[in-house]
Amino acid sequence: MEIFNYFGTTLASLAGGFGTALQPVNIAMLLVGVVLGLIIGVLPGLGGTSGVAILLPISVFIAHGSLPGANATTAIILLAGIYWGALFGGVITSILFNIPGEPWAVVLLFDGFPLAKRLGRPGLALASSFVSSFVGAFVATVLFTFFALAIALEALRFGPAELFAVFVLSFATLVGLGAEAPVKSVAMLAFGLLLAAVGFDTITGEQRLNFGQISLLAGISFVPVTIGLFGIGEILASAEEQGIGYVENLSARLGLRDVAQAFRELRKRLVLVLSNSIFGFLFGVLPGHGATAASFLGYGLARQYSKNKENFGKGEISGIMGPQCAADSAGVASLVPMITLGIPGSPTSAVIMAGLFIWGLQPGPVLFIEHQDFVWGLIASIYLGHLMTFIICLLAVPLLALIMRVPYAIITPFIVVISIIGSYSLNNSMLDVFITVLFGLIGYWLRKLKYPLAPLVVALVLGDSMERELRKALIAGGGNPLYFFSSWLAIVVLALAAVLVLIPLARTVLARRAAGRLLAVATTEEGVSTSPEL
Amino acid sequence: MRPYQLATAAAIIAIAAVAMFDSRAAFSPSVGTAPGDVGSRWYPFWTAAIMGIAGVVVVYRTLVTNQTDEAGVFSGREGVFAVLKLAVPMLFYTILIGGVGWQSGDITYTVIPPLGFYIATGLYMGGFAWWIGRYRIWWVGLIALAFPLVIFAAFELGFQVTLPKSFLYERGIAPF
Repeated sequence: MEIFNYFGTTLASLAGGFGTALQPVNIAMLLVGVVLGLIIGVLPGLGGTSGVAILLPISVFIAHGSLPGANATTAIILLAGIYWGALFGGVITSILFNIPGEPWAVVLLFDGFPLAKRLGRPGLALASSFVSSFVGAFVATVLFTFFALAIALEALRFGPAELFAVFVLSFATLVGLGAEAPVKSVAMLAFGLLLAAVGFDTITGEQRLNFGQISLLAGISFVPVTIGLFGIGEILASAEEQGIGYVENLSARLGLRDVAQAFRELRKRLVLVLSNSIFGFLFGVLPGHGATAASFLGYGLARQYSKNKENFGKGEISGIMGPQCAADSAGVASLVPMITLGIPGSPTSAVIMAGLFIWGLQPGPVLFIEHQDFVWGLIASIYLGHLMTFIICLLAVPLLALIMRVPYAIITPFIVVISIIGSYSLNNSMLDVFITVLFGLIGYWLRKLKYPLAPLVVALVLGDSMERELRKALIAGGGNPLYFFSSWLAIVVLALAAVLVLIPLARTVLARRAAGRLLAVATTEEGVSTSPEL
Repeated sequence: MRPYQLATAAAIIAIAAVAMFDSRAAFSPSVGTAPGDVGSRWYPFWTAAIMGIAGVVVVYRTLVTNQTDEAGVFSGREGVFAVLKLAVPMLFYTILIGGVGWQSGDITYTVIPPLGFYIATGLYMGGFAWWIGRYRIWWVGLIALAFPLVIFAAFELGFQVTLPKSFLYERGIAPF
């Protein structure tokens, strides 16, 4: 009976959310966000994270009612719309130009571009990608709708020890499941936490790490750092790549025949797409990963369970649909921990979460109680946003592909200019502009040396909250560190975090053992083959 | 690759060392304001310590790992020049926006007057189109004028976002 009540409440809240999301100003901002996201997704030098960060100052004006009828819900709908648009838009350049517009579209170079070029079916490649993206996002949004409230209600019971454990778990996933060397992830995490500690201490009000500089008393703002790392850093990296490469040029036409065939192909792969969407959702909920890691996971699963493994890398449609549905599902899922626990699931959702702070909202379970309109309006807008993005993509691919024709000498400085506007306008501070440029150079350099940037950004956003919960727990426990193990939930979460951190270590030990075994076998074989001579 | 990895890890260790030095009061006997509180310096001190240890591990791994087969950091000379062609004008652009100068007592010394966002953007976009794009002079002029004007209309008039103004604005000569 209770479960029926839960579903009834959820559906009623969702209906209210649609009422909010369907208001003209919200629909208009969703459309603006989606179109901007598609453009950002197509541009190789600008990603979803930096796009959202650049537009964050404008969202502040929207949240504070500079548009008639607009409020914080309108602002988050705009930012989330950019994210959905970027999730779809990044694939267009991967398939048509062999240049990934977004990190999560890199995997489409394996089969998307070959299907478009070698097999001469760019329309089918694009339609397959859009259809599977839409299904993945839809599955994730349904899961979001029915699980978010349950998670939030559970999270309301968390004390400082449990919250601190959840922070530790989120950092542990960044270290344990990251693609780069774990020790580099640890260094970047600590760097982010250190940057977050600059300025006034939130509990005692003491100054720290500002080295006597008044301008640093307010701390280092998250927005200029993110715009620098992901905006400026990304265009510097793509400048290097474009300086040595060339752009492929394929037709961008997408006909009804392609769309119909894509739906037929989807029907054949329904189990793959649905299961990958669920895996993508589960992966996206883990903090710090989001769509990129899920896209590679989706590709791996599609290949692993395919009967046509030999076709992968040559234009196999499962190699497009598998990663795409997982990536979009993970993108949606990355908002779940942000909304329910106040912990972002990806760098882009970290920026959106920073927006919530700026608009005066506290992300976390209390949002579901105090700002129901906001939460359910956002959830309803995810359904509408993906439907909108899907339709625009089917209709406007040739137009979006034209963006790639804008000359480098215009688009690149323009991205720098809007990055500068984004970093300056939040606090009207030239210091923020210099921080953006500095972190642009740092981000480019760290990328070259394979230091992951996601831990730095997530730690910078979560640093203050994590320290607050740590110290609240210590005060509550009278300084006794055993307080962190005072509940079963905290113990389980901390144990899970420890396991995640130990994964890379276990992986290294196993790899060394395997290498040792191979060496032993090789030595034995050599001994056998050389023995007659002895 | 190895020297770059070592230099970066050394920079990480140096940042950590500076932060630890600044937070050395973590060990003061009267750190917190409430029973059980560790005080404001404890958290940055140990965070910096973790960062420093991670840097040392990176140094160790770089030294013990065979890196002879790995590719270099940059994708050849052309790649480096492509990055420099973008990075150097960008640095000049930000310097032009805010200008260069300092204050000593009541006197302000100005080396480069602040050109503000709009004039600097015109110079930057026009200069980039001329240098990298090799456009004809009228196209360069059009780009240098059109972009700042469109941005002015969108941000200053539309969104009412105030961007940095030039010394000409301060003297009442120009609207930006």
